[in-house]
Amino acid sequence: MGFRSGPMNPPARQQDAKPFRPGGAGGRFAIAVAAALLAFAAACPRASAQSEPLLQPSDLKKLSVEELMDIDVTSVSRHAEKLSETASAIQVITSDDIERSAATSIPEALRLASNLEVAQIDSRQWAIAARGFNNLFADKMLVLMDGRSVYTPLYAGVYWDVQDTIMEDIDRIEVISGPGATQWGANAVNGVINITTKSAKDTQGGLVVVGGGSELEDSEEVRYGGQLAPGVYYRAYAKYFDRGNSDLPDGASATDAWRMGRTGFRIDADKGDGTVATLQGDYYDGTVTRMGPADILMSGGNLIGRWTRELGDQSEVSAQAYYDETYRKIPNSFTQTLNTYDFDFHHRLPLGKRNDITWGLGYRLEADDITNTPAEAFLPAKDSERTFNTFVQDEITLVRDRLHLTLGSKYEHYNFTDPEFEPSARVAWTPSSNQTVWSAVSRAVRVPSRIDLDLYEPATPPYQVAGGPGVVSEKVNAYELGYRRQVTPDVAVSLATFYNEYSNLRGLQPLNPPAAFPVDVASGLRGESAGGELTADWRVTAAWRLRAGWTELRVNSEPEPGSIDRVSGQSIALDPNHQGQLRSMLDLSAAWQLDAALRYVGPITNRAVPGYTEGDLRVGWRPLPAWELSIDGENLLHDHHAEFGPAGSRREIGRSIFTKVEWHF
Amino acid sequence: MAFLRPKGRGALRRLARCLLAITLLGAAEARAAAPSREYQLKAIFLFNFSQFVAWPAGSLGDAQAPFVVGVLGNDPFGDYLDATVLGEKIGGHPMVVRRYRRVEDVGDCQVLFISGSEEGRLEGIIARLGGRNILTVGDAANFSRSGGMVRFVMEEGRIRLKIDVQAARSAGLTISSKLLRAAAIVTREEE
Repeated sequence: MGFRSGPMNPPARQQDAKPFRPGGAGGRFAIAVAAALLAFAAACPRASAQSEPLLQPSDLKKLSVEELMDIDVTSVSRHAEKLSETASAIQVITSDDIERSAATSIPEALRLASNLEVAQIDSRQWAIAARGFNNLFADKMLVLMDGRSVYTPLYAGVYWDVQDTIMEDIDRIEVISGPGATQWGANAVNGVINITTKSAKDTQGGLVVVGGGSELEDSEEVRYGGQLAPGVYYRAYAKYFDRGNSDLPDGASATDAWRMGRTGFRIDADKGDGTVATLQGDYYDGTVTRMGPADILMSGGNLIGRWTRELGDQSEVSAQAYYDETYRKIPNSFTQTLNTYDFDFHHRLPLGKRNDITWGLGYRLEADDITNTPAEAFLPAKDSERTFNTFVQDEITLVRDRLHLTLGSKYEHYNFTDPEFEPSARVAWTPSSNQTVWSAVSRAVRVPSRIDLDLYEPATPPYQVAGGPGVVSEKVNAYELGYRRQVTPDVAVSLATFYNEYSNLRGLQPLNPPAAFPVDVASGLRGESAGGELTADWRVTAAWRLRAGWTELRVNSEPEPGSIDRVSGQSIALDPNHQGQLRSMLDLSAAWQLDAALRYVGPITNRAVPGYTEGDLRVGWRPLPAWELSIDGENLLHDHHAEFGPAGSRREIGRSIFTKVEWHF
Repeated sequence: MAFLRPKGRGALRRLARCLLAITLLGAAEARAAAPSREYQLKAIFLFNFSQFVAWPAGSLGDAQAPFVVGVLGNDPFGDYLDATVLGEKIGGHPMVVRRYRRVEDVGDCQVLFISGSEEGRLEGIIARLGGRNILTVGDAANFSRSGGMVRFVMEEGRIRLKIDVQAARSAGLTISSKLLRAAAIVTREEE
């Protein structure tokens, strides 16, 4: 369900976190949080059953038209009302948030969502996940860009180095932590990241952005938008960058500099007759240097067509088709060409006064061709995966504006697994217009990827890793409970808590125990996770805004009873137990902006990655409406710090300064 | 691995079920909603328009006649709009809110908010109001195109105004430059 635009939620405040003790503190923490919330929720609604307007008419009538126009209504606007009633843990990164951060790439921008674990591994690789099981190959997230799924069926994770566009053209990034299987699509086990770019209508005219610095050494972006016919707008862009090396722990260069060129377009047609159509596409090409082997080459492109027609007040149909091609050559490892063809259809319709039905179906064909090397092989080398899915969801109004129940299920059929049902039940209770309590129970699956089924090491027998003939889909049962409150017109807080049970997690099973090798890939692990995501947003004055987030997380895995999976004897979780952030956005004057961010990430004990605190600072100056100059400092507190990789091959991330000039014409 | 002890697991699962049940039960106390902040502000704008628009002399009837802010179609304001105009007078005329289901029902009215529920019928509605001294206000995407005078648009979470001065003028209304300064001027053709 890629072309669904959701609501927004504000981020967080610091909270004392109990240290994790292996004796079950994680479970107790979750119970304590849930119990506190329950007590709060039970007490609160009675106290404020009377609906209370957020803003008194008598106060607002004193304001000038200009002042009225300066009030941000997003926190509870029509979209946001949907949001505030949304029964899931959603955070939204707006284009303004991105501009006010030091982010120069999509992974860096994702640090703005405090419900995500974002760890930079080296100059181009990132481990990004929600609610645990983070990894370079993090495989439990669905990531969409303008409705196009960008996780690779090779390992069900995302090659973050090739996901990019002009940062100024990103409209919003919605981050949902928790399963989104019914409403979204396959792989939305632990979360959904939905990146939406602006309509061509909103990017008219020219834009040139040129910058340079210490990590992002140089960056050039050009975009131009114009009108083709009444109601039909286009834009075209090109960008290029060189990014420098990450650091070895001793401070020496890790020799992983890389560069990428990219170009694309988007055409939007909205003639006002209720039909909206979009055609867009991108092409990119890049090279990564390496210490030993030859350079990694990567290129790809995509073409998306999307059509939506309103059928009435609450009814619409939409259809989308796309083609996506990726190519990646990793010398001494493998080369993969992947072609994806995808078609989706959705229909939303009201049924009576109380039911808002959405149903849809989709088909995806992913065909790849891998050139293997003697060290490792994906067998068969050529493979195609066909997926058919259909879903239906009913948002039922139990009490108007007060209580909504959403029931739905997705049915997915793959050519190589049993059919999977992914049902969910979500309830949102809005006892007064400024607060919502929500809860959800859902089930989601991650179907096996090629790395689960087809990986052999070496490429010919005798194998040390002998594929995964018995691998089945990973499953999660998720229980969620959350609360959002607009405390005053200027302060919003939210808390999302969860408890997840996983089964059939991927592990490695010795074939001739007690010998540790050879192994095959097997679904022999189970796991549990629990945690809470707290956010707060405070508009201190019209010119100063503070946002904070704190996330607690406990994740563990162990062999299923009877499983001989001993290779993964210790928990496969590589997640910090705590992380937090504080962001400040300050308008010094109409022309000057000063923005700062501080983030803390706890230690990753399973991998002996120390915890760290880092800070970013940005100064923006707009001397004329068409010109902006900014200086961004990222990771300013240390010369370099580690975020993820295993000791031994770990890369560290250095302090960086980046200066850019932006010209609109 | 104490974290995975079945005991704790069952407790959490029970808790999750409990919470669902409680959430459902609590709804029994539900009451009528306050409008979203967006519509609270739009209600204030509707009031403000009465200050920045001049209606032709005599179009309001005698001194006892009310100054009517109308809502056509589904009312997104709840009683917030009533609270906003409560006790207000325009040139001696007491302000009142009236709600209409169909355009045929619209009687004496100075400011008319045409709800998003009427989006599909806008052209017909506005054509039917043509010639009357009514300031039409709306937020549907096709509002200006359909001949509406003042359109609310959301930009980065803030309310912006798009005003078709010609449409207002042909209804005999004069919009103050104070309001126009804060708005974008549009014409039906451009939209």
